[in-house]
Amino acid sequence: MARRASPARLVIALGVAAMLAVFLLYTSIAGGGTPQLRPSELKGRTGEVALVGKVVGQPTGDARGNGLRFRLRDVEGTYSIPVVYRGSVPDMFRSGRDILVEGRLRNGTFFADPGTMKTKCPSKYTAKKQS
Amino acid sequence: MPDLGRAALIVCLGLAVYAVAGGAFGALTRRRRLTESAENAVLASFGAALVASGVLLAALLRSDFRFVYVWENTSLELPRPYTFSAFWGGQEGSLLLWLLILTGFSSAAVLLGRRSAPSLLAWTVPILGGVIVFFSFLLVAVASPFATQAAPADGLGLNPSLQNPYMLAHPPFLYLGFVGLTIPFAFAMGALAARRSDELWVVVTRRWTLVAWTLLGFGQLLGAHWAYVEVGWGGYFAWDPVENAALMPWLAATAFLHSVMIQEKRGMLKIWNVVLVVGAFALALFGTFLTRSGILSSIHSFTEGSIGPWFLGFIGVVVAGSTALIVSRRPLLRAKTRLESAVSREATFLYNNLLLIAFCLTILWGVAYPILTEALRGEPVTVGPPYYNFFLKAFGLPLLLLMGIGPLIAWRRASLRGLGRTFAWPLGVALATGVVLLALGAGSSIPGLVGYTFCAFVLASIGFEFARGTRARHALTGGSWPTAFGQLVGRNRRRYGGYVVHASIVLLAIGVVGSSAYDTTREQRLRPGESMTVRDYTLTYRGTTQERGANAIETRAAVDVARDGERLGTLRPGKNSYLAEQQVSNEAAIRSDRVNGEDLFLIAEQLQPGGALFLKVLVKPLVNLIWLAGFVFVGGALIALWPDAREQRRLAVRYGRHEALARA
Repeated sequence: MARRASPARLVIALGVAAMLAVFLLYTSIAGGGTPQLRPSELKGRTGEVALVGKVVGQPTGDARGNGLRFRLRDVEGTYSIPVVYRGSVPDMFRSGRDILVEGRLRNGTFFADPGTMKTKCPSKYTAKKQS
Repeated sequence: MPDLGRAALIVCLGLAVYAVAGGAFGALTRRRRLTESAENAVLASFGAALVASGVLLAALLRSDFRFVYVWENTSLELPRPYTFSAFWGGQEGSLLLWLLILTGFSSAAVLLGRRSAPSLLAWTVPILGGVIVFFSFLLVAVASPFATQAAPADGLGLNPSLQNPYMLAHPPFLYLGFVGLTIPFAFAMGALAARRSDELWVVVTRRWTLVAWTLLGFGQLLGAHWAYVEVGWGGYFAWDPVENAALMPWLAATAFLHSVMIQEKRGMLKIWNVVLVVGAFALALFGTFLTRSGILSSIHSFTEGSIGPWFLGFIGVVVAGSTALIVSRRPLLRAKTRLESAVSREATFLYNNLLLIAFCLTILWGVAYPILTEALRGEPVTVGPPYYNFFLKAFGLPLLLLMGIGPLIAWRRASLRGLGRTFAWPLGVALATGVVLLALGAGSSIPGLVGYTFCAFVLASIGFEFARGTRARHALTGGSWPTAFGQLVGRNRRRYGGYVVHASIVLLAIGVVGSSAYDTTREQRLRPGESMTVRDYTLTYRGTTQERGANAIETRAAVDVARDGERLGTLRPGKNSYLAEQQVSNEAAIRSDRVNGEDLFLIAEQLQPGGALFLKVLVKPLVNLIWLAGFVFVGGALIALWPDAREQRRLAVRYGRHEALARA
């Protein structure tokens, strides 16, 4: 009895191996996720990315028609690029808000995938603290 | 007033420091009186936390804007109930709520422990004290809810999406669950520190874990329902980091509640169980760290505070300390028996644990991925819902299957013939269900079809268990069938309560599969008078109305709903413009069908008074079973929790000798 290996060990080893296999299978088929970038990091990148930035200026156009057009700036910085977006616009979207959109850069404009916009609350959704 | 609050927190911190130092010294030197006074310090810390909470609550209700916290989180226009819920609407207040619950639970654990396991308390109290020290220190020195200023005329208001009745219940339930996991952790560490090798800590904490786990599970379902009706994007769970933060400790606690039975029955998996308890607690802390540090982008994004590094440090201390303790006490944790066969009840529990923990770890990996990639490659890479959904299927479907196998399979070693006899019936039901569903067209989603077949298997095996037990009881006592059924459940509350919880998970699975694998989404631009068709619904847009509500302007689109020519009424999706907060929020309109559990979900994406409406329509079959599952879940947990005099006597005989020695 003492010399026979416990099936518990075998079971755990097989279980862990099986789960690793599932994990590797997933990462090899589906790839490793979406990189998250700031506007200034976008230069020359044409793949699918998530862009995080602050909305500056007044948004124009229509998210239902030809697309909502606005500029996205580095949250801490000055570099900004134009963005075109269609689809659901979150409640919090407005000039001055930090948002995230997924899409690709083409000819200097970021074309966002429809319905990918998410708003991030800045430190607080209301006016800045008077310190 | 603010001074009273600050003083109460300092007193709380002092009492907790005493509980740690005095308690540890008392336990080391075996001074009974010192140990008892450390216990009393924990009880008194609850009083101090109550005073501090009372001060903050009074300030909120009186709109005392001298308190920065009150000014930041309320306004004069805010309806009264939300002034109350602003207690946990901001960071400092929710930390105070955490402290209040922590000291309350710790006091209850001390009072109950004095009766059931006084010998365990000696080392448990200093550990509880240590956690209280951490939270009261944060409140005293880093994030005080009692900071003051010259009072402005009006406050900044509460985030509109938090102005919802669910806000009153969802966060407190989550906190109760998170904090509740502290108690099993403290008892486990207390038992190890005291070099106890028996299972008493398991017996004492099983009920605590069950309570925390039930509250955490229920809190998450409330949150899902909140997201569904209030946030208004048509979903209930989005694998957001904050949602994951609550799911991970729940999964770890689920694994613990299962594997602990193996320790009680067979004396195995001792190290594993301690690791799970530590893991669940550390994940609860990690969850708070995630939500409060602003390290990840999340739709929840709370105030970014300075408490993140403190939390990270505390998690480090907890993990390092408990690992050291477990390693040093390894001889105490040696298993009494070994696994005899890979086909047995024990093995099934082990598979269940491996799957739950694997799922938990893949979620953790997904949550931490942006942090890791940023550290390694310089840019964060996120994984989205497809990643999580894949693993939900890869690990969730086998888990579902195990839920049908586990309760029926024999302990120790199952024979092939026994397996055939036991599972013939549930397997038959499952296959028949699968064939019928395929004929009905459920083959459009293969994971959906597999999921439903497994659900049928689990429900059949649970029904089989109830029927078999009732028949045996009936044959034994000869009473009526309902009496036999009542006695069966009453005499085995843990077991049959557990089956009811299993049934609730099946309901949840049916609802999730139905609403995610078989749903329909359609979006269309409508002018007044125009109609659109989605599945068998016909929707006609009538026009827009605008009203002045209590603290918002409410714009609504009137949409007539008909199905197969029969009028079902008018739905009014729209938007609210909150005045004080200068914020728009989406107000979805939902029609739930009581007969088939299907929801028609309308979102007014864009609307102009008198103009066109962009209407988003979702049809979600069976989604209401998810909410029904919540009630069944709580019902089953209550059955399992209900005190059982017979079991108490049995345990008293088993551990009574030990306790008598300890008292002497």
